[in-house]
Amino acid sequence: MTSRDENWTTSAISRRNLLKAGAASTAVGLIGAPTVLRAQTPTVKIGILEPLTGALSYNGTQARAGAQFAIDAINAAGGIKSMGGAKLEPVVADAQSRPEVAAAEVDKLAQAGVSVFIGCQASALGLASSQAAARYNLAQVFDVGTAEQVVERGLKNVFRFTPGVNKCTSTALENLKTLNANAGNPVKTAAIVHEDGPFGSGLAKLLNERLPGMGIQVVETISHPTPQRDFTNIALRVKAAKPDMIIPSNYINEYTLFAMALRQQRVETKAIYSILGGGASNIKFVREQNDAAQYVMDCNHWYDPRKPESQALAKKAAEAKLDMTYDIMVAYACIQLIADSLERAKSGDREKMIEALASSTYSGSIMPYGPTKFVNGNNEGAQPVNTQIRGDKIELVFPKEYATAEAVFPMPPRG
Amino acid sequence: MKHATLGEWVLYGAVCAYLLALYALPSDVWLGFTINALIVTVLSIAWNITGGYGGQMSFGHAALFGTGAFVTAILQVRLGVNPWLAAPLAIAAAALVAGVIGALSFRYGLKGSYFALVTLAFAEVLRILASSFSITGGGQGILVPYKAGVENLQFASRVSTYTLALALVALGMLVTAWMQRSRFGAYLIAIRENEEAAKALGIDTFRTKVLAMVLSGAIAGTAGVAYLQTFLFVDSQIAYGASMSVEALLGPMIGGSGTLWGPLVGTLALHLLGESAKELVSGAPGLNLVLYGVVLLVILRYLPDGLVGLARRVRLPRRAPAASMKEAR
Repeated sequence: MTSRDENWTTSAISRRNLLKAGAASTAVGLIGAPTVLRAQTPTVKIGILEPLTGALSYNGTQARAGAQFAIDAINAAGGIKSMGGAKLEPVVADAQSRPEVAAAEVDKLAQAGVSVFIGCQASALGLASSQAAARYNLAQVFDVGTAEQVVERGLKNVFRFTPGVNKCTSTALENLKTLNANAGNPVKTAAIVHEDGPFGSGLAKLLNERLPGMGIQVVETISHPTPQRDFTNIALRVKAAKPDMIIPSNYINEYTLFAMALRQQRVETKAIYSILGGGASNIKFVREQNDAAQYVMDCNHWYDPRKPESQALAKKAAEAKLDMTYDIMVAYACIQLIADSLERAKSGDREKMIEALASSTYSGSIMPYGPTKFVNGNNEGAQPVNTQIRGDKIELVFPKEYATAEAVFPMPPRG
Repeated sequence: MKHATLGEWVLYGAVCAYLLALYALPSDVWLGFTINALIVTVLSIAWNITGGYGGQMSFGHAALFGTGAFVTAILQVRLGVNPWLAAPLAIAAAALVAGVIGALSFRYGLKGSYFALVTLAFAEVLRILASSFSITGGGQGILVPYKAGVENLQFASRVSTYTLALALVALGMLVTAWMQRSRFGAYLIAIRENEEAAKALGIDTFRTKVLAMVLSGAIAGTAGVAYLQTFLFVDSQIAYGASMSVEALLGPMIGGSGTLWGPLVGTLALHLLGESAKELVSGAPGLNLVLYGVVLLVILRYLPDGLVGLARRVRLPRRAPAASMKEAR
């Protein structure tokens, strides 16, 4: 703080002295007081590095809220018991939806003394931040970072709690195969519309390789940037290709606009089946574009709605007037995983945190996951689920043990 | 050659003091922040050659920055070329792209906003191509494996990365200083001031402008290489996105376009402003960008010749004028 003030006021000597005095008194306030507080209640600092501004700000702010809900719940339940009831203290950083900023913010988190951090909602951001965090031996728990590159770098500080694009795609395709077979294989062709970042492109590549093996021919693959606001041409290209099924893979705003464009252009199809679709599992989409959203299916991150803690989280989100999105769910679950690791590590030491996370077998989160098992930073216990929009609700339709409704496939004509 | 004024001495002294102070007080936060600012400064220096000295306002310098980053990444990851060899090849590729863009645009007499739009279009075309072909990762980008070591042009220590970035800025400024004093620089400034008059004086304006683009491309490509070796990841949006093009021109605009120190002063000031705004309103993300925008508008409105221009106006008071006024009467 002082060094920056000096740079700002090199020409005004009297003002500099004034600022120095101000900075000194602020420093006493900032540093002195918590020292006294720390002696009374131990705290563990947890970094929350999310894109709070920029193209991914919606996802980032939702995730921050989810992490905060989890921290509040854990602190209210007595904190980290093995550390004398230590409270979790969030340190929030804005990645601004830009990889170089995400990397720079890691320096700040490390300097602030965080033991571990969660982030960053997009693979490109997470790749940069975890690379920077490796220098500090600082663990990053990925809330969302589906690109497989995330876990292919041999970094010891990477822990992706949620499933990656390979797992999501294989689960989604298995489920699709079952649905299609049960309905007498009405879907024979597909069009893929994806965002052109690491996540969408990786997915499109995988789908192009695997769909033909299931008897589904890919008739069109269209990429678009994020943000993109006009989907008319893309909808018309899809209409011309006449696919039985459309597979959109993009973030919430683009997803909503694309679904709207499909309705406006009266594109008829037997299924809209998303894999990690940003909007298909978003109640905002259901509320605002209810007509366009009907029967849209998605294979995505989603919580187990039957767990009492999930229900409590949904209530909290409703009270805070927030839409219940998977960003909130996964960020919440990542903090739960961190809390469990802290219990076992009995310390906020970074090295011990990495060891505790690496050996985690945690299965108590709100997600419908089996016991956690990190292999090269990839949680092999994680799995996506299938959701479908029905009326004004998002129902979980697959796997059966978590289902809240039966799947409708193919979708009835929408007129 | 004009002598530096008091204001300039103070401004440049403060910038140098800040840059050197980081060695005395190595803080990872400040080092990381300044490394980012210095990489953008290299790009701004590139823009300043064509935009500042040559008056050819490019809105697509990301095309050159991105080519530097992508070519070095492709050579390293796909072909296993050592980064020390990949870097000069990437810089040459960026210079070539700049030459092609320049030759095509200037051949058809594009200038002003038309040139700006064409450069923007080139960057956008390259972004779409980079997100479509598998050699550039097809939108997934290219990740360079982290293998710290001088032989891999990667540094585990922030101080070393900082030194590299600082050296690149110094090199860029030396090239600019050489250009300022050279015949080529004089031709370029003449073109900026009045292209028709320059032509009438016998200057080959087409050749001079294309050469300026090539030089600018090489420097922008260097910034791309430095970005890649620092963050080890590049995708189409990072490399060719409009935000890089905007960053390239904001620094010189704020610092003082067509000046030696403008890009460095402007970029550092902008980054410090952004950071201060963030600290001031840390509780409300996004508000910092509003504050940043407002201050930016104020600077652009009241300091048309940038911070360096402001510093130039700050001089030691002279005693002579009173006497000379009397004599004049």
